Amino acid sequence: MKAPGQVAGPDEPARVLAVWCPGWLEEDASGAEARAFGDVITVVEGFCPEVEILRPGLCLLAARGPARYFGGEDALARKIADAVTAHGVVCHTGVAAGQFAAALAARAVRPDGTGVVVPPGGARQFLAPHPVHVLAAPALAGQLARLGIRTLGDLAALPARDVASRFGAEGTAAQRVARGEEARRLATGPPQADLSATLEFDPPVHAEPAVFAAKGLAEQMLAGLASRGLSCVRVRVEVTDTDGRESTRLWRHDGLLSALAVAQRVRWQLDGWSSGAAAEDGPDESVCGIAMLRLVPDHLVPDEGRQLGLWGDDLISGRVERAAVRLQAMLGHESVAHPVLAGGRGPGEQVMLVPFGDIRDARHPADRPWPARIPPPAPATVYPVPRPARVIDAAGAPVTVTGRAAVSASPDALTVGDSPWLAITAWAGPWPVTERWWDERNATRRARFQLVTEDGIAWLAAVELGRWQIEARYD
Amino acid sequence: MREKTSQLTGFMGLMGRLPAAAATAIDGASSGNSVFLRAATFSRPDGASGSYGDIVVSGDAVLPVLPALAELLPAGGLARGSVVAVDRSGLLCLALVAGASAAGAWCGVAGVPDLGVVAAAGLGAAPARLMLVPDPGPGWPQVVASMLEACEVVVVRPPAQPQAEARRRLEGVLRRGGGVLVVAGEWEGAPVRLRVTRRSWAGIGDGYGSLRACRAEVVAEGRGAVTRPRPRWLWLPAPDGTVAPDETAAADLSFRGSAVTGAAARAAAAPRRAAR
Repeated sequence: MKAPGQVAGPDEPARVLAVWCPGWLEEDASGAEARAFGDVITVVEGFCPEVEILRPGLCLLAARGPARYFGGEDALARKIADAVTAHGVVCHTGVAAGQFAAALAARAVRPDGTGVVVPPGGARQFLAPHPVHVLAAPALAGQLARLGIRTLGDLAALPARDVASRFGAEGTAAQRVARGEEARRLATGPPQADLSATLEFDPPVHAEPAVFAAKGLAEQMLAGLASRGLSCVRVRVEVTDTDGRESTRLWRHDGLLSALAVAQRVRWQLDGWSSGAAAEDGPDESVCGIAMLRLVPDHLVPDEGRQLGLWGDDLISGRVERAAVRLQAMLGHESVAHPVLAGGRGPGEQVMLVPFGDIRDARHPADRPWPARIPPPAPATVYPVPRPARVIDAAGAPVTVTGRAAVSASPDALTVGDSPWLAITAWAGPWPVTERWWDERNATRRARFQLVTEDGIAWLAAVELGRWQIEARYD
Repeated sequence: MREKTSQLTGFMGLMGRLPAAAATAIDGASSGNSVFLRAATFSRPDGASGSYGDIVVSGDAVLPVLPALAELLPAGGLARGSVVAVDRSGLLCLALVAGASAAGAWCGVAGVPDLGVVAAAGLGAAPARLMLVPDPGPGWPQVVASMLEACEVVVVRPPAQPQAEARRRLEGVLRRGGGVLVVAGEWEGAPVRLRVTRRSWAGIGDGYGSLRACRAEVVAEGRGAVTRPRPRWLWLPAPDGTVAPDETAAADLSFRGSAVTGAAARAAAAPRRAAR
């Protein structure tokens, strides 16, 4: 192992400075976090124009050049941290060889609040005490932990050949990361031809049409890449307004980019830019019109054919994407949704509506056993908000359920909302459910019933704190 | 065209009666502009004979439906460019589009915030190819027209009685684009109207059991080939979650929870309510 301070070996990746702002959420639907983080990026861009945004809250830049200019990595890290903190955002910086070590270094804050600078050749030593779970590979990390390999130091110390034979390519890549060598990037040679796509607007346009055009432009760029068997991991979005001001930003997607995803990032960038310009120069000086939009693919990788559609294996055709974008322009981003099946006991919890174009995993996976789930068939009508109802017995008294799940009397009639009373011809229940009792705000304790009324409709009803609600209808 | 349709009707009628076990899968991504079944395999329950295959699969005129529903529709499926109105049943709406969705078509749903996606998936529809606009607002005809450009089938529950002009415009969009509109509610002049008139639930008793299956009498009405109403008994859904024709359908309504819809039943119950 190399001692700290030793000169970096040939395998050592380039020096990277990470800027980490704790407390930022992962990408949310509206992109509000991404937009707000744009202010931080603007500050960091004052030090180095090439900033790679990993996600809201974390960005990286190549440290070598700026460090020479600003008098060393320590000084650069401190200056960036001070500048961002002065902007009102809590920020930590770290410098190390390779992205992974740098991102961890930014989190390892020294007691005096300054960031950690891992000396060249010291990445392995720095990484050694970290648990394997910091690798972005939960399955592999879980396996390693079960085998007693709990830290990156343990993993780095294993013979490389054994790791390769036991864990395959993923294991080898993880071990290289743990040794501070970082999984080597794939062929990142400069593009042979100009693969960027440019569109000049004459007359200049406002943000909305520019975003719309960006999607077509992104398709053009991606088609150019696809024809060469390439794919890009980052894309540089360059926007010029009529006054000649430019906004350039690198956007990264986890995985590979789709045209819609690029257009979304153009929208965020434009939103952030126009609001920033308005705050800086007064409302009269805000961005008046967009004259040029340019998309430059960055960090090219060979397309290995693993470019999936937005939702698993189902490729979404341009036809559908176009219609969805147009509808979202008409009704708002949230109004056009696509369902994701999730896990849960009630019918309302088993589906999550995700705005079209966003990617989100189900809160709770659907393929788990959910004891006390309502047995199939599933109801055809599931009310987004349960409807209030009243259920009475033959004597006209409200039907209640005791804490021990005993029904006061046979339900005899049902009314939903203000509709007329319907006689109940068959019923089943109560099926008590107590969920999330450990979480005060989300705890539920209810008893569910299935009721069949005289008109042949069946209802899924729940009684909670003596109040009846209709959750779904079987019609 | 006329001849083709009648041929289809015969074939689809046959399809409905053949056992599903004889199903074979054939590649649905075939000829020319039949983009709708792209990259999908769709099973044809008649087995070997390939002579009818092109008619159904290329989808020039008709989108496939679940075999049990083919008998109810004059074209043996969802005729492109047409409107199907469905009354009083959410599950029947979902069952109508499930066949097309399973065959690779995109389905749009507008104005149905309470759509049971799990039920749709249970019938065979692919949630990954669903586009939902729960609240299309007052401009819903425009929204539906936009959805029809992307989706082969659009289910809509109009928030208000559709104006004659909006109706005509949408019918024009349908004719030009070859989509199918399934209306959950009234649609004046719809060539086919499906209605659930009676239902009885099985599996549930007086305080025991749970809902297992439902037998429903579905009536198809409309113009042209369906001027005479055709009642059919269907399992909607069957105990295994599918939709199947009910062979024992001699109106045996001896189940608990059986019901006859209509003013008579309500009138009979009314005095009891009023007495309370």
